[in-house]
Amino acid sequence: MAFTLNVNGTDMEVDAAPETPLLWALRDHLRLTGTKFGCGIAQCGACTVDIDGVATRSCQFPVEAAEGVKITTIEGLGAEGEHVLQKVWTEMNVPQCGYCQSGMVMAAAALLKDIPEPSDADIDLYVDNICRCGTYPRVRQAIHRAAELLKA
Amino acid sequence: MTEHMKLSRRGFISTMLGTGGALVMGLSRPVVAATLGAKPWDSFGEGAAFTPWLQIDPTGKVTVYVTHPDIGNGVVTQACSYIREELACRWEDIRAEYAAPERDHALGGVYSEVGGPLGYFSGRSTFEDRRTAYMTAAAGARERLKAAAAEAWGVDASEITAEEGVLSHASGQSAPYAEFVAAAAAVTLAEEPAPKPREEWTFLTKASPAKIQIPEIVTGRAVYGLDVRPPGMVYAALRQSPVMGGQLVSYDFEAIRDMPGVRAVVEVKPTEPGEPDRIKPAFPLGASVTGSAIAVIADHYWQARTALDALPVVWDDGPGAKWLNIEMMEEAAMAAVRAPGETVELSVGDVAAEFEAGGTVVEAEYLTPYCDHVQLEPLNCTALITENSAEVWAPAQHTQQAFFVTVQETGLAPEQVKLHQTYVGGGFGRRVFGDDTRMAVAVAKGYPGVPVQVIWSREESVRQGRYRPLMGAHMKARLDDDGLPSALQMRVSGGPGFFSNGLANTAFPLVVPNAQIESTVVRDFHIKAGPLRGPGYNSFVFFHESFIDELAEAAGADPLDYRIRIYEKWEDEGWVKILNVLKEKSGWGTPLPTGQARGVAIGNWGMGGRPQHGTTLGAVVHAEVSTEGRVKVHRIDVAFDSGRVMNRDAVQVQLEGGAIFGLNLAMNEKLNVQNGRIVEGNYDEYPLIRMADTPEIHIHFEGLTDHDRYDEIGEPPVGPVGPALASAIAQITGKRPRSQPYREHDLSWGGGEA
Ligand code: FES
Ligand code: FES
Repeated sequence: MAFTLNVNGTDMEVDAAPETPLLWALRDHLRLTGTKFGCGIAQCGACTVDIDGVATRSCQFPVEAAEGVKITTIEGLGAEGEHVLQKVWTEMNVPQCGYCQSGMVMAAAALLKDIPEPSDADIDLYVDNICRCGTYPRVRQAIHRAAELLKA
Repeated sequence: MTEHMKLSRRGFISTMLGTGGALVMGLSRPVVAATLGAKPWDSFGEGAAFTPWLQIDPTGKVTVYVTHPDIGNGVVTQACSYIREELACRWEDIRAEYAAPERDHALGGVYSEVGGPLGYFSGRSTFEDRRTAYMTAAAGARERLKAAAAEAWGVDASEITAEEGVLSHASGQSAPYAEFVAAAAAVTLAEEPAPKPREEWTFLTKASPAKIQIPEIVTGRAVYGLDVRPPGMVYAALRQSPVMGGQLVSYDFEAIRDMPGVRAVVEVKPTEPGEPDRIKPAFPLGASVTGSAIAVIADHYWQARTALDALPVVWDDGPGAKWLNIEMMEEAAMAAVRAPGETVELSVGDVAAEFEAGGTVVEAEYLTPYCDHVQLEPLNCTALITENSAEVWAPAQHTQQAFFVTVQETGLAPEQVKLHQTYVGGGFGRRVFGDDTRMAVAVAKGYPGVPVQVIWSREESVRQGRYRPLMGAHMKARLDDDGLPSALQMRVSGGPGFFSNGLANTAFPLVVPNAQIESTVVRDFHIKAGPLRGPGYNSFVFFHESFIDELAEAAGADPLDYRIRIYEKWEDEGWVKILNVLKEKSGWGTPLPTGQARGVAIGNWGMGGRPQHGTTLGAVVHAEVSTEGRVKVHRIDVAFDSGRVMNRDAVQVQLEGGAIFGLNLAMNEKLNVQNGRIVEGNYDEYPLIRMADTPEIHIHFEGLTDHDRYDEIGEPPVGPVGPALASAIAQITGKRPRSQPYREHDLSWGGGEA
């Protein structure tokens, strides 16, 4: 079945079964591979995208429900790395293997939009993605740093 | 006589996995990486290739060729740092590319000769031979640039300075490197310059550059194994015999033939036993053999996966099915340590006589379970196989081993194989042997002429691991009148492939006057073991250090002071230094509220029985246990001695990540078995620490002894954090967890109920 998805501001056609997870429509049909597959069961957050302003785990979001909404992926957040989180992540050496990090950044971006000066508890709540490399301390510091920069 | 020889005389079997085992410190760099679109190895463009390690293009951009895949530890950046030190170019002009194993093969081992047979992997990024190779190459390029400029300017080369990519002379002449690249490449030096001595370094050990590939990662451009998209690629969903060693009996393709996108089913037969090696491998090819498997190939992954789930398959489980549950396997491992071991690993003095002398004798048994790496990128690999060629895209932890297994599986000549190293979404040892690459090649062989991306689902990835092995230990010691052990007996067991080599990674048995260590392999364990972040070490430190804690308790001593008394007998002052740093910095001994305590532990990764080798690391864990038995870790203090450090920030983040890894291993991780099958499949059943559970972590550099080595960083924290937490739990609850993971224990206390 054909679906029209609005991804990063552009309408794109996907021909897939309706229950196909948005994750695979993005990665495989649209070749937007910045959104990662980690678990497929909404546990890890590697597949996090922004759907109408809400951080969403795309591996449990069927493509048929993705019509008529605005989807932003890591590629649309700042294609050249201009988003404050991308800059801070780079400066502060946050990623290790990096595989979880597009999901981390997307979750953090949604957090800062909702709560520009998040507390540690806010970060715990919004960014509960899995990082096997253990980058949590740096992710936390980097979010606080980004919030400071945004305030300035 | 050297220490090493003394130890050999003592019978210590030091079968190290390369001096360093190097799991986490393998690395590499992928900015553009040898992924799609990258240049083939034999086209260096118009630049000057000064050596296989280094190329400078006519605009002055520098390409560094890196052998180690970067699995998150910054190895690529470290290689670039060596070049920056000697070439004195601008940091932003440096890029990196993976060194192709086919180039290595064609040029007679130009890369792998550094580091021996494990050249693409062993010895970490700060391994001296590798550092020397890069620095010599860069110094040679710098001197050639100077010579070319001297010639053009009519001055003496020794009067020219090279800085930030610019050559200058007191006469006022100056030019960017780019101007002299072509001329420099033609210069023959009378003598190759030696790398700068450490005292003259201006960048190494001073600067702490962040990983150079981060801009690629945070924009989603980095191409991991699952992200390669060669033209015409199709997808395969994979299922292997659910019981390791089992066989496919039958399947019914007709049931799925008409499902959308389905193209084919490929059956993979187990590798023939005893196959001859077609190429000299880095790791034994036996570790990469394929088991019985089936794959559904479709246009899109979701189609392949859906069809695989619908495919009727019958398996013959084979002998492994006799293990009805994990308790049976645990009992077998423990039974093996209740009798004398089949191999004597270490024997000093007369342990039996000491035990007969009476006095305080302490005995305890410990166990660590099967654990999976659960690296965040599930196993995968993409391969295009034809009659006379193979092209493979692999998120390998050892690029060259992936190349070797491709040669082995296809039967092609090495010259017909091309291997692209991609970004790697976590390794921790899982992607070292090349069994993943080999399986993907085997599947793609069955669907030739088209690139096939073979994807393990998360569940498949977890259930078909090469695990931290199940291991049992029985420990017994006799205390002297001074409370210190006069005799130590240790018996350990595990299935085939368990890591008795890790026994050499502690000083404890080496400072007890009478010591005997024995091991036994439980041969009918069918579950495959592999290296997992500090293999062997991550169990042995738990055994040794938990036991020392029990000895301290029996001696009525403070656990930290007791360790100082034990380890001050060892000829490496790093151990005591670390313990003293922890004592001072962690708040050791200061009062805590009821229900909280601090525990300590220490170990060494890589010492192989020798002082001033490997990295010694100690941890203090400050934990709280509720009366219902819920554990919360508030803080971890880490002090370590790797000799020296190259990139302080890279070390800091590796130690933080390693401490979290060690904490999770001890607290949460265990695979169960049912009728020979691994039960857990995904993160809902195999919990990992998240942001909210992450304790405060303090890394202390004051334990460094400044000994002349830059030893490994990724593995060391994984050992001591677990036993330090066990100690804290024991102090609070009076219940000492003698098996991991601790979450399986009822830790309620003081009238609370679990
Ligand atoms: S892949 Fe979607 S949450 Fe893990
Ligand atoms: S950086 Fe490797 S999983 Fe997070």
